[in-house]
Amino acid sequence: MTVVAKVWIEEDCITCDACQDIAPEVFEVTDETSKILAAVRTDGTFDRNTGKAPLAGEFGAEYGELILEASEACPVEIIKFELVSDGAEVTAVEAPAEIAADAVAPAAEVVAIAGSASAELLSMMEGDRSLAILFGSQTGNAAGLAEKTAKLAANYGLIPTVYDMDGFDASTLASHKRTLIITSTWGEGEMPDNAESLWQTVSSQSPSLSGVHFSVCAIGDTAYDEFCKAGVDWDEKYQSLGANKAHDIQLCDVDYEPPWAIWVAEALPKIACVDSSGTLQIELLDQMIAYGTSGDEEEVSGDFAPGTIDKAELTVTLELFRYCPTAAESGWDTLVCSVPANASLQDLLSTVKNNVDGSLTFRTGDGTGSQTSGVRVNGRLVLADITAISEVIGADGRIKIEPISGYPVIRDLMVDYSKFEERRMKAKPWMSSSAREGAYIINGDAVGVMDSADAVTLHSISDVKSYHLVHSMSDTVAYDSNYEGPGLHLQRWNRIMDPRSSEKYKNSLIASLNNATGVWGEADLASIARYGQEGKTASNGLNNIRAYILNQTKYRGPHGRLVKWYGRSVKWTGKLNETTLYRQVLGPVGLISNIFDGVSARMVLGFTRTGGPPIRSLQALILPPAGIGKIPNMFNSKVKNHHQVVGLFNEIDQRF
Amino acid sequence: MPKIAYYPGNVARAASMEVEDCIQPLCKTLGIELIELPDATSDGGNIIKQASSKLQHALVARNLALAEEKGLDIMTTCATSHGIMKDTMQDLNSDPVYAAQLNNLIARSTGVEYRGEADSWHLLHYLVEEIGLDKVTDAVVNPIQLNVAPYYGPNMQRDGFCGNDDPFMPTYLEQLIIALGGKPVSYDLKCQSVGSPSLLTLEKPVMSLISSVISDAKSNGADLMVSACTVSHANLDSYQTKAGRKTGKNTSIPVVHLAELIAFAFGHFPDRFAQLRTRAILIGG
Repeated sequence: MTVVAKVWIEEDCITCDACQDIAPEVFEVTDETSKILAAVRTDGTFDRNTGKAPLAGEFGAEYGELILEASEACPVEIIKFELVSDGAEVTAVEAPAEIAADAVAPAAEVVAIAGSASAELLSMMEGDRSLAILFGSQTGNAAGLAEKTAKLAANYGLIPTVYDMDGFDASTLASHKRTLIITSTWGEGEMPDNAESLWQTVSSQSPSLSGVHFSVCAIGDTAYDEFCKAGVDWDEKYQSLGANKAHDIQLCDVDYEPPWAIWVAEALPKIACVDSSGTLQIELLDQMIAYGTSGDEEEVSGDFAPGTIDKAELTVTLELFRYCPTAAESGWDTLVCSVPANASLQDLLSTVKNNVDGSLTFRTGDGTGSQTSGVRVNGRLVLADITAISEVIGADGRIKIEPISGYPVIRDLMVDYSKFEERRMKAKPWMSSSAREGAYIINGDAVGVMDSADAVTLHSISDVKSYHLVHSMSDTVAYDSNYEGPGLHLQRWNRIMDPRSSEKYKNSLIASLNNATGVWGEADLASIARYGQEGKTASNGLNNIRAYILNQTKYRGPHGRLVKWYGRSVKWTGKLNETTLYRQVLGPVGLISNIFDGVSARMVLGFTRTGGPPIRSLQALILPPAGIGKIPNMFNSKVKNHHQVVGLFNEIDQRF
Repeated sequence: MPKIAYYPGNVARAASMEVEDCIQPLCKTLGIELIELPDATSDGGNIIKQASSKLQHALVARNLALAEEKGLDIMTTCATSHGIMKDTMQDLNSDPVYAAQLNNLIARSTGVEYRGEADSWHLLHYLVEEIGLDKVTDAVVNPIQLNVAPYYGPNMQRDGFCGNDDPFMPTYLEQLIIALGGKPVSYDLKCQSVGSPSLLTLEKPVMSLISSVISDAKSNGADLMVSACTVSHANLDSYQTKAGRKTGKNTSIPVVHLAELIAFAFGHFPDRFAQLRTRAILIGG
């Protein structure tokens, strides 16, 4: 019988719901992570249980098997537990690998191996046994493989160190006589972001790597033309710089773990046969394989840390926004400090608070991307608890940290989310479902089901870490206190698109979005789209809400007229006709108001604008001026082959 | 002689003809050959996208395909148009199935085929990265000698859209102003939107956006603003009186487009430049 003493969830949960499906009595998956239910814990808390509180009463026995099953089913292997064997000793199961932030890992102590290796092998394994594992990673897959490789390397008597390529000193490459490179490929054959700088440096400086033995594991996707190009580039570069290939490059497709396993099993013993002088003693390979695969875990003991993400220190000029509500004064503090590049912004702020100025105020997160930990750093909007300093530091070593815009500042970097939350409550973005068909799970309970395509769509349209941060992406929110902002709109759009939502609920959400405080209150979606993938997701979401509403309302209202007449004028000539557009959208009253607002005067006089025929300005004498700039064309000539444009419109959208 | 297809955008040959006036001579001075695309259409201005993303994608992909047919990249003076072209390229590259479907449709309707080979350039990035600022400096005849506030807007300030410039702390326009003999003015809101897509439908916040950008530039000592976006340039100029009146801020300042500033520095239209200097120094906006 399996009795579980403790169960906890590590970081990087992908919220796939697998654990909750298997053991809903123990796990609950929230929007951010899976958590251990309070009811089964001695501390009565609902979180990931990183404090490893024991399970209460008989729950460990009652749900032990299910917890094991959930742990095995977890695709990212983050459910950890401790067993109670027959009610006696507690046995640690798969103790989590510790990753030191910046210090070199304590070396694994290789203990007696007599009887399992020859004197020749033992002699070869004397001296320097260091192994450098460099990873280039965009999404974390290569980084994960690097850690696993480091774990296995110890079996061959190697002392591994995992290096993030970002911040790695290229001048030290030649000093790593044993090197393994694991890298993904990004975009169309490009280096991952963290590898680009090192690649450029190595390419430009071409350091000699003679005496270095290496092998490369490349991750890619055969759907792209440039499959595994980054890895292939490193492989060729190392060879061209005089390094010796210890083992052939391994190319891995999307399902990268099986080929990586083959590579690591073959490459590690070979690289382990490189002695301290940098000579590959390939004749000892069979012995090394036998030694490394003996499976006796007791060969390695001591306070072992399998790998280290080792990054250079960065010298940072930190500019911090400060605001004191009591004195109603604001300003900037500037500090120069040295920090580990892979420390988070939150680490940096905490260090300043603890060592320099205890009054510094900011919101902290739990290290998993807390929605409210947002700050603006060098213009970018980021969550401080998961953003590494190296990701945002400027080329000049400057880091400028400000509170995010669109919210009142309480003090320093801390903003007030209360209005946002009040509006969220008012918007009621929680699920209000309709009755629908379901399925029965193994215990006989009925559950709702969702088509996988719907689930993917639903996930992709609101795949953002923080709605609070999305709110701040809009330039408009700072100038229109009535505008609800894109964060709330995106959340509601998600509910509208959810097939579980009732029609009544959807209609109420659409009605609430179709007004000036709703999606039409956003002055420029481009201001949102510029904030990376999340900004683009949010911007596309808002654009799709508008398209949905316009379709339902048959292009009524000024926004509808703007879209309709823009499209029509382009269809008619291939060009935008501003005169048509302005007359149709503004109407005669709007056009005439331009005269009194001084807009027409500036257009007619062309006060600072230069050039153009005077006849354009004279048009204002007979017709109300429209548009922006000089008085625009009254009629457009057609583009060449205009029939092609009409063909496109007719083929794609005949509403114009 | 470098050769590139030219896309004027939606307004350079309509309400903002001063941009069109200036782009041709400035390129001639720098030895850049602009190739016309007489079949090219409006890019939809992110307005048609609100009815149909697919339709806007098709219009833009066709324009890019027209440049591809000539074996050229495409250059525009408008940040919005450049942003739309880059955005479309990104969307099509990220979804090959959708791109193939759209391409079939374009090929069927128009006979041209988009292969994803032509890149889009904004005039600013093309000058800094392809032509070189030293060449620009060499061509200067009338140094600007004014405090110039650069305005980028949000459309092209995205990762991958602005060459090697930093999208959030850009400096290319400042570098160009220095190369033209001007003094760049530093201010916070140089990438903020001025609400061009909603000018006709959302008056209050748009006027606030316009006035905040101008007043920020003015309060930091600008004599003149230069815009990298054709549409925003016209907004900042024509609507500044209205924006100032609605918000109570001082918004009176001359605003020119990047192409004008370069052409003036190269010695083209000296009468216009003289008027501009007089307005900037003596009269104000």
